[in-house]
Amino acid sequence: MTSAMYNNNQLRLWSLKNTSHANRLFGYMALKVCTAKCHGSNFSAMLVFLDNLLLSVRYFGHPQARVRGFLLLPFFFLTFVSLNVDASVSIPSHSQNETPRVAAIDWTLVETLMSLGIVPVAAAQIRDYQAWVVEPSLPEQVVDIGLRAQPNRELAASLNLDLVLTSPLYGAIEPTLSQIASVQTLTTYNPENDFWQNLVETTRRVGELTNHSAEAEAVIEHHRRQIDQMKEKIATDTPPLLVVQFIDDRHVRAYGKGSLYDMVINRLGLQNAWKGETNMWGYTTVGIEELITEGYLVIVDPVPMSAEGVFDNNRLWQALPAVRHDRVLSLPAVWSFGALPSAVRFADELYQALTDQHATELGLKNL
Amino acid sequence: MISLHRRASPAYICLPLVIICVVITFNLLKQTLPDVSQGAFDFSVGLSGPEAKAMSTAVFQFSVLPRMTIALLVGAALGLAGVLMQQVLRNPIASPTTLGVASGAQLGLLLATLFAPRLLAFGSEWVALAGGVISLLIVFSLSWHRRLAPVAVVLAGLVVNLYIGALSTVLILFHQEEFRGLMIWAAGSLAQNSWSDTLHLLPRLVVVAILAGLMARPLGLLELDESSASSLGISVRKLRLMVLGLSVFITASAVSLVGIVGFVGLAAPVIVKLMGARTLAQRLLWAPVFGGLLLLTTDLFLLQYSAQLPSMVPTGAMTGLLGAPLLLWLIPRLSLKSTAPSTSKTTLQTARKPTSRMFLWLLVLLTTASILALFVTQSIGGWVFNGTGQWESIVTWRIPRVLAAAGAGVLLALAGATIQRMTGNPMASPEVLGISSGTAIGLILTIYSSANVTAPLLILAGATSAVITLAVLILLNRRTGFQSERLLLTGIAIAALFEPLRSIFLANGDPRIQQVIAWMSGSTYYVDSSTGLSALIFAVMMVALIPLVTRWLDLLPLGRNVALGLGLSVDRVRLILLALVAILTAFATLIVGPLSFAGLLAPHVARMLGFSKALPHLVGSAIVGALLMISADWLGRQVLFPQEIPAGLVAALLGGAYFMWGLRRY
Repeated sequence: MTSAMYNNNQLRLWSLKNTSHANRLFGYMALKVCTAKCHGSNFSAMLVFLDNLLLSVRYFGHPQARVRGFLLLPFFFLTFVSLNVDASVSIPSHSQNETPRVAAIDWTLVETLMSLGIVPVAAAQIRDYQAWVVEPSLPEQVVDIGLRAQPNRELAASLNLDLVLTSPLYGAIEPTLSQIASVQTLTTYNPENDFWQNLVETTRRVGELTNHSAEAEAVIEHHRRQIDQMKEKIATDTPPLLVVQFIDDRHVRAYGKGSLYDMVINRLGLQNAWKGETNMWGYTTVGIEELITEGYLVIVDPVPMSAEGVFDNNRLWQALPAVRHDRVLSLPAVWSFGALPSAVRFADELYQALTDQHATELGLKNL
Repeated sequence: MISLHRRASPAYICLPLVIICVVITFNLLKQTLPDVSQGAFDFSVGLSGPEAKAMSTAVFQFSVLPRMTIALLVGAALGLAGVLMQQVLRNPIASPTTLGVASGAQLGLLLATLFAPRLLAFGSEWVALAGGVISLLIVFSLSWHRRLAPVAVVLAGLVVNLYIGALSTVLILFHQEEFRGLMIWAAGSLAQNSWSDTLHLLPRLVVVAILAGLMARPLGLLELDESSASSLGISVRKLRLMVLGLSVFITASAVSLVGIVGFVGLAAPVIVKLMGARTLAQRLLWAPVFGGLLLLTTDLFLLQYSAQLPSMVPTGAMTGLLGAPLLLWLIPRLSLKSTAPSTSKTTLQTARKPTSRMFLWLLVLLTTASILALFVTQSIGGWVFNGTGQWESIVTWRIPRVLAAAGAGVLLALAGATIQRMTGNPMASPEVLGISSGTAIGLILTIYSSANVTAPLLILAGATSAVITLAVLILLNRRTGFQSERLLLTGIAIAALFEPLRSIFLANGDPRIQQVIAWMSGSTYYVDSSTGLSALIFAVMMVALIPLVTRWLDLLPLGRNVALGLGLSVDRVRLILLALVAILTAFATLIVGPLSFAGLLAPHVARMLGFSKALPHLVGSAIVGALLMISADWLGRQVLFPQEIPAGLVAALLGGAYFMWGLRRY
């Protein structure tokens, strides 16, 4: 409100100082807009603005006044813009128990929404979501609102949203998005806390915001139980795991503390073999000579085309202990920055792969 | 060129590098071979004795050794390519990176990854070669009219680098996940896991080196001027083409294997020349040796200290970072043949007489573009043409962007027009002067180092780095009296510092990439109404101030002596104008990022339309700049709806075709 008042005072000052006809007219118009804005909504300000527009058209009709009328042009921009200063937005309120019309920018949150059975009205970069997150897949009717870092706000505004969910990664757009709908920024990647707990908190919070608290608790419980069941069945003497994703034929991402994969591995009662430094999102980029582990080497798809088949004849690769002992597990793609469903999917794939591997190893021993 | 010590030999600088390499290698071996030290395998629980030995032997044999070899080979290849390019073009600052060959190769690979991945399986070397050749051809066609004068070639190289950078940026913006691998490549990682790369590069390098050796004698004669060389019976043109082809080929071979390695190609020939390799034969021998050692030393240092670094720093980006200060140091020591007189005349030729009608037309166009940008858009149900019912979104979303685009366009156009008149160089622009890049460096570092990025912090960081860049420009050019060509070269060096920083940021696959590159490619997305309004007000104020500088800008293109004779204290005026340009650029960069080409294009268009005297030229440029940015912003919002292409990038694409076509006439 302060900036609106400042604007108001400034305009009054202008209109008092200048006595020329044109400027007095402008001062009158600007004052009217500002007053309307302070006391009413954007809509009433808009009406006043239209009124001003009519006035000035009449004014432009007089040929002698046309020159002075040109002076008005820059001030028109001011009037336009003063409409927007300190815009207080009335958020369309939805009743207490209904599902709000929600959009999600961050894919982790899209996934969380889907897991609660809520189909978002809009999401960002849907084509890439389908390619990289894959599951749960988004139905046709979800509107694509563009890049995650720059969602199309005009489009979002036309969707009549109640709620926009985003993560601190896209924090820069929060102020402007909040003119469209109420924006909630949820932090999932916080290296200081336990990652499982972070995911649970995010799911719970999404549940609260969308009036789906009961479903959220059920989903959390369901996923917890699934992982616990797998944990009981996995042999406790399973050697440590080193989870990597290939970037090209020379580099891999190794996932350590603070990543989704690491959390799942710990949750299953297993050990992550990567003890090196990781970044804020729990991974680091290394060459394949660093992939030395006595345990299993877990490769998560997709393997880029440049790295396909390169390692069949690679002597360094052959020398890796995991390769030498036939302890390489290949898992289908799981989004590495995913939410609870991704976590459980990874746990499940890992469990399957370990079980198969175990059977093979037993078979070899029995021979 | 000057040489530091008359009796010096490049061996004096190569020997210490060899010693450093041996020391670090020994140190690394101690870490790698467990026989010497116990602590290296602390994370491989229970790796038994013989197995550990086998593994560490494999690591040494198939990772460490090939990596050291490839560092030597790539450095040698780039050093050789640099010598050849510098000799053929008689240009002391020609190199694979400054001529745009490396970035052309990168764009080729990006496009192939996206649209024809099978092509890469066939041979990424050829894709890289095609990209490199195409961008080199563009550079030549841009500088042909100035008979490939050194500064013209390097400026054209910079402009092509900037364009290709813009194009790559938009590809990365929309395909962040697919390009994970290519980003590491672009930063030049030397990591190896077999001998295949070495076996690939070695024969090519040997062949090229032999061919270069055979051509050394005729090449040496090129140091004489062209007519005397041809009178000695050399087909100058054929020789040049062949040697250039060789150097581009060996660059593409090296680059397609390990990625873009900055500045070794420039630094190696220049340093061995400074160290006393006076003849071409000496340089052909020493530059590859020194280049290889330089790259190996850098790589070994990075290997040694990689554990202490917060993020992965690929070697190629590191040499780029080291090379930029070298270029800055080198610039005051270069002797440049001045080509100013011919340009200053041609650049000011008027195509036709301008009239006030032209201004009117421009204003009408500007108004039309603004109305289009405000009222016409796509929505979920298709195109929307009339304003009813969309007042809210016009006021909230479109006006700030149109205001900001117009304001930034005006500011950049004014800066560009000023600097082009001041330096008498049609390629000069705020982007070229490095102020945009300097501001961007500050902003990238701020975003990277602080967890909570706020707008005031960004403004502060941007303004500070713009001032620092300006101070560097002034300090390095004060002694030479702000001579235009040196000024532009300083700008190139600063811009060259920006590229590796960006590469490092991208190579780490930081999820914040998208936001950073969206901003870097000149988006009005983050502008709010107060920013937009202040941009326009500032722009209008600056336009109002034009009459104060028109006399200077009318006199400066006539050349230093004429201007002095007419009572202009040239150095002081240049300083003031430089400060003005810096302020304009910094402000515009804060709004739309460093990569909009309005500053380069708008003054051109204005001059093509016939505005030749300073006052109409500046005002005309301002209008064209606003027009360009408003249309670019609108197009960017509509073309890939609902995704938005940043305005600066669209402006670059729009202007690119015009630029290639129009510039050859100057």
